[in-house]
Amino acid sequence: MFNNPLDFENLKNISRRHFLWESAAGLGAAALGSFLAGCESRSAGIKNLATATDPMLPKPPHFPGKAKRVIYLHMAGAPSQLELFDFKPELQKLNNQLCPPSLLEGKRFAFIRGTPKMLGPQADFKQRGQSGAYVSEHLPHFAKMADEVAFLKGVYTDQFNHAPAQLFVHTGSPRLGRPSIGSWVTYGLGSENNNLPGFVVLTSGGKTPDAGKSVWGSGFLPSVYQGVQCRSEGDPVLFLSDPEGVDRDLKKKTIDAINDVNRQHFKEFNDPETLTRIAQYEMAFRMQVSVPEVMNINNEPDYIHQLYGTTPGKASFANNCLLARKLVEQDVRFVQLFDWGWDSHGTDENLAIDIGFRNKCREIDRAMTALLLDLKQRGLLEETLVVWGGEFGRTPMQENRENKNNPFLGRDHHVEAFTMWMAGGGIKPGTTWGETDEIGYYPINGKVSVHDVQATILNQLGMNHEKLTYHFQGRPFRLTDVAGKVIEEIIA
Amino acid sequence: MIRSNKIVFFIPLLVAFAACREKKIDFSAQVKPILNKHCISCHGGVKRNANYSLLFRTEALDTAESGKHPIVPGHPEQSEFIRRITSTDPEVRMPYKEHPLSAEDIEILKQWIKEGAEWGEHWAYIAPKPVAIPEVTTLQAGFGESDTPWAKNEVDHFVLAKLEEQKLSPSAEADKATLVRRIYLDLIGLPPTPEQASRFVNDAGADAYEKTVDELLASPRFGEKWASWWLDMARYSDTKGYERDVGRSIWRYRDWVINAFNKDMPFDQFTVEQLAGDLLPNPTDDQLIATAFHRNTMNNDEGGTEDEEFRVAALIDRVSTTWQVWQSTTMACVQCHTHPYDPFLHDEYYKSLAFFNNTRDEDTEGEHPNLRIYKPEDEQKLTAIKEWVKTHAGSTQEAEVTRFLKTLEPKFHPHDFDQFVNGELIDTKWLGVRPGGSARLKQIDMAGKRNLIVNYWSDSEGGSFEIRQDKLNGDVVGTLQVKKTSGRQIVSIPLKAASGKHDLYFVFHNSKIKPDKAVCGIEWFAFRDDLPGKGDAHYDGIRSNFMTLLNTSVDNTPIMIENNAEQHRATHIYERGNWVVKGAEVKPGVPASLNPFPKDQPYNRLGFAHWLLEKQNPLTARTMVNRFWEQIFGAGIVETLEDFGTQSASPTHQELLDYLSLQFMNEDRWSMKKLIKTMVMSATYRQDSRLTQEMLEKDPGNRWLARGPRVRLSSEQVRDQALACGGMLSNKMFGKSVMPYQPNGIWSSVWNGDYWKASEGEDQYRRSLYTYIKRTSPYPSMMMFDGSSREVCVIRRIRTNTPLQALVTLNDSSYVVAARGLALRMMKDNATPKDQINAGYRMILVRDMPAQKLAVMQGLYDDALKQYTTNKEASRKLAATQNDSPQLAALTLVASAMLNLDEVLTKE
Repeated sequence: MFNNPLDFENLKNISRRHFLWESAAGLGAAALGSFLAGCESRSAGIKNLATATDPMLPKPPHFPGKAKRVIYLHMAGAPSQLELFDFKPELQKLNNQLCPPSLLEGKRFAFIRGTPKMLGPQADFKQRGQSGAYVSEHLPHFAKMADEVAFLKGVYTDQFNHAPAQLFVHTGSPRLGRPSIGSWVTYGLGSENNNLPGFVVLTSGGKTPDAGKSVWGSGFLPSVYQGVQCRSEGDPVLFLSDPEGVDRDLKKKTIDAINDVNRQHFKEFNDPETLTRIAQYEMAFRMQVSVPEVMNINNEPDYIHQLYGTTPGKASFANNCLLARKLVEQDVRFVQLFDWGWDSHGTDENLAIDIGFRNKCREIDRAMTALLLDLKQRGLLEETLVVWGGEFGRTPMQENRENKNNPFLGRDHHVEAFTMWMAGGGIKPGTTWGETDEIGYYPINGKVSVHDVQATILNQLGMNHEKLTYHFQGRPFRLTDVAGKVIEEIIA
Repeated sequence: MIRSNKIVFFIPLLVAFAACREKKIDFSAQVKPILNKHCISCHGGVKRNANYSLLFRTEALDTAESGKHPIVPGHPEQSEFIRRITSTDPEVRMPYKEHPLSAEDIEILKQWIKEGAEWGEHWAYIAPKPVAIPEVTTLQAGFGESDTPWAKNEVDHFVLAKLEEQKLSPSAEADKATLVRRIYLDLIGLPPTPEQASRFVNDAGADAYEKTVDELLASPRFGEKWASWWLDMARYSDTKGYERDVGRSIWRYRDWVINAFNKDMPFDQFTVEQLAGDLLPNPTDDQLIATAFHRNTMNNDEGGTEDEEFRVAALIDRVSTTWQVWQSTTMACVQCHTHPYDPFLHDEYYKSLAFFNNTRDEDTEGEHPNLRIYKPEDEQKLTAIKEWVKTHAGSTQEAEVTRFLKTLEPKFHPHDFDQFVNGELIDTKWLGVRPGGSARLKQIDMAGKRNLIVNYWSDSEGGSFEIRQDKLNGDVVGTLQVKKTSGRQIVSIPLKAASGKHDLYFVFHNSKIKPDKAVCGIEWFAFRDDLPGKGDAHYDGIRSNFMTLLNTSVDNTPIMIENNAEQHRATHIYERGNWVVKGAEVKPGVPASLNPFPKDQPYNRLGFAHWLLEKQNPLTARTMVNRFWEQIFGAGIVETLEDFGTQSASPTHQELLDYLSLQFMNEDRWSMKKLIKTMVMSATYRQDSRLTQEMLEKDPGNRWLARGPRVRLSSEQVRDQALACGGMLSNKMFGKSVMPYQPNGIWSSVWNGDYWKASEGEDQYRRSLYTYIKRTSPYPSMMMFDGSSREVCVIRRIRTNTPLQALVTLNDSSYVVAARGLALRMMKDNATPKDQINAGYRMILVRDMPAQKLAVMQGLYDDALKQYTTNKEASRKLAATQNDSPQLAALTLVASAMLNLDEVLTKE
């Protein structure tokens, strides 16, 4: 339910006018008509119209939300919950024993074949803070944040391959073609910042996620809602730099000239689309300044660089965490980070659960801790929801690809249970919801689905996941498909 | 008590209602929308609360769980349905826990029941019937001051009739320069050159316009423009999709589409060849390539994926795509349950799926089956083999051998094996069994199978495998000595004669390799009879050529091939859409609510294609007419191009839609060019596209067509136009997709060594439809202008207007190069900046630049020139010259500004 449903519908329809030819009887068209009445000669009228037709205009949520923005940290490849948060001493006792058939019957695994051996935790654990949550020694910095976050230990999915599982987490469907969560959020809430994209994506680890750019695509939503990838090499946003030999002054004059001619043209043709184009060229010009500004971390003070462990000019998860803070500070609605390299199968050293995985943990530990601290010290954490997770978990069994021993210790993909955490944005700090069995195979309580996590994220932003819909191919679609339940247990 | 109150309350309303109503209640227009909005979500195809559904009449009249009669035709007062919607008891009243229906809605429902509760059918499910062309009043016939009637063809009569209803008047014809640019952009996707434009503008003949239209319809550029549109629906791309998203060679299908449009292949043939070209008698290579339409589905190479899961995903995509493309129907809903509001039952989805469920493709890494295009010298060998087989065994045998050599079908894949001992599928793709290990292939029909052809590779000598019949230690029926190979090797193993079906155990050996190493990798197996004519003089030569052809390098295009009887798949309902949970078996069939399946057609894809093309099919022709209309006029007659169901937008001009549909099927014999010509010859199309205050108030979206179309150009058109104006657009047609400039670091898929290698020479400047499309990382500047990444079928591109688009056309180096090219052309033959700027405007918009606009651009030129005269280095950079050229730099900036004008990015 919206605070003022009519207003929302109104805005939605006006903005959709760009994309769909609303029928003449439609509310949007009627409202547009009234906007236009008499605007021909008044420049104020023109301006109002251009703003009203901006699809990124901020829109009221369904109900007052605790969070205004989201930073989503996705560890692409799926980190092992059994070496980070889900401490299973019983599994240590079973180490190297053959897996009982009961755990294998009727199951499909990506790579495990025949009967694998059990693999005990490859990390030491301690209880941390007041809450007493277990965090392993792999994350010494983050361990101090245990009382700031809410752990979800019983998350499950139904996709055991990377690309479909990542799509499922980010679009609510394992197949390509659906909008990503960031697109849904900017579609639902618009953007508070006029000079930056509303949905920004930052990647590290040397690769894009397995499912490609589709995990931040807008699917069937208008492309204005797709995530804009900000890059550390080349233009921070594609085609952002002026051509060689064109300086700011000349670019300003160019855009002024274009808009001048367009204004003349509008007088003749009266097409509101022309006004929108004028506004978009002005915004493009502003973005050319504001994006490099926000993407530049050189001017951050030393203590900030030390806090995050950042090195300017390098594509790293740490830099991306700092950028995420800068972006939400500028009211960017949704910041999506992907860090690649978490697929610890044990097929080589980098993918060994006791070697490569440890190194990956070192890469993120300081930075994600710094992000939480920094957001907190700036008073941003309250209204910023931070989400951390992978696309599935890892098996308590040691992987035995092609039914033989892998060269290094590793774990296969596991769909039944994995751990995610959330912080800020109205999440109850220092909580743990969900528990798995003695070996971390199945959740025994607090089982939550990927759709539940999505419903919760939308809920924190003040949106009802069942009402945030878009009509496509003859029916309304939503992020959570036909499922999803808000996880009330972790909400403050 | 309650009921009598209600009756008292309704009497005055009823009177008032009856007084203003003359016609019977129209179910589709008046009743169905109420049911869809308020009832169907709990009493429809998905949920049947209280075991009651309002989807079909029989269900609606049937007793519900309570045993009461919900609807008694003729008797609203006896109908439980009416009692429930009018009750004041919140536990009884429907819709449950929602606002009650309005008095007006209730009255409609009562009256409808009183009139017999007839179940009128939704317009889209009744075949179009001949319609009378509306008479045109004098006022509209002779528009404006001239005596010439405004209307030019039948289209205009239908449009005028609606305009009259809406109290709107049509616009005058657009000026000739606007018109010629419009018709060029719409028919061939490119703007006219100033010369082409002048030819039309200066031709005062009555047929000048039609001559231009005919020229454009005959232009080879026509097929390129319309192919872009169809390829969105076909989800054509140059990669396989999913995680690895490696390249796929399917460009021959794109070329087939271009040719089909250029040849004006009738839409019926266009349909049959794409959906079932392989099932036509002795299909040509072209007809097989056409079937790649449905091989544009994605293919998952990610390690650990099960082929069957993604074969089913592709199959489901084919069903959804076919229904969307040809029937404007969203069958996807019906995968999990009966359609919530349209007349399609759950099992009908699977009957439809059964038509598509028997093709040989199985999500293998090699994308089998492929059509193998041989090099000319190999083609000669093929001809010789074909003749040999024909002479020795007849034409049936010849067709069988040809099929194998052209498609390598039928064959078996490693995923057909089970009972692995000491072996597995390598990367879940290839058979890899270690020394002493084995794997089983189940129930192979051995009759007449004297050879096993194997595609394998090995990096060690000394291995072997034998094939044992019926059990692990059964009779050896064939043996292969595995040799070290360089790459793939296709060999033939003689098999002992056998009959009937047998389990075959493949047992592998090699004592010289490590025990954890596979003896060899195997991609596929084919069981085949000997070639005929064994013992004849030239037999050995023919056989050797046969093996040479199998091993030669070929150009592959994935195609559809139907399963033979041995590999036939039964189709089951997937419970709740889940492919692992199989329900009852179903046979191919079409929904009962549509036209019956033609009696003379087989129940396969070919028959299905013919069913779509039956004159009685209510959806096919309308669907296509509506889509062409959208391309030409900017919006469909039915706005929801992808959906004609009961939740779709109502057609604005249904009679016109039906009229054109009948003409398309009958008089025009499915000619797409004729259909387009009818549309663009109309006065409706030729109108000026300026908006008046009245239009803005009454019809901002131009649904009633009181003005010409004005819409932003497509992503392809934006780029092609810039290249054309810059004088660099290549006219080269066909062939492998090209890689024009793209910033570094765009492609970074995992497990994929492919990289973007900039094309050379004119391939840098080919039309945009030839640009390589990678699904998970599409060409960025195209995506910013709402191009499709071709992951799934896209029926309608949604046009957006964003700042990122401005960044592309202002800063992308392709556009800077185009602006520079345009500037050079502006300088040629024009001395003063004023003339140069005007010449540039003419090159883009084929008219003189209005003085006030010219003044703005000249101001920009002067400012730029001043700067570039002092800052020589900047001028050299922008002009890309060794020598100082402030004039060229300033003109380049102006050219770039002009390529960014709203009127340039728009068709008006």
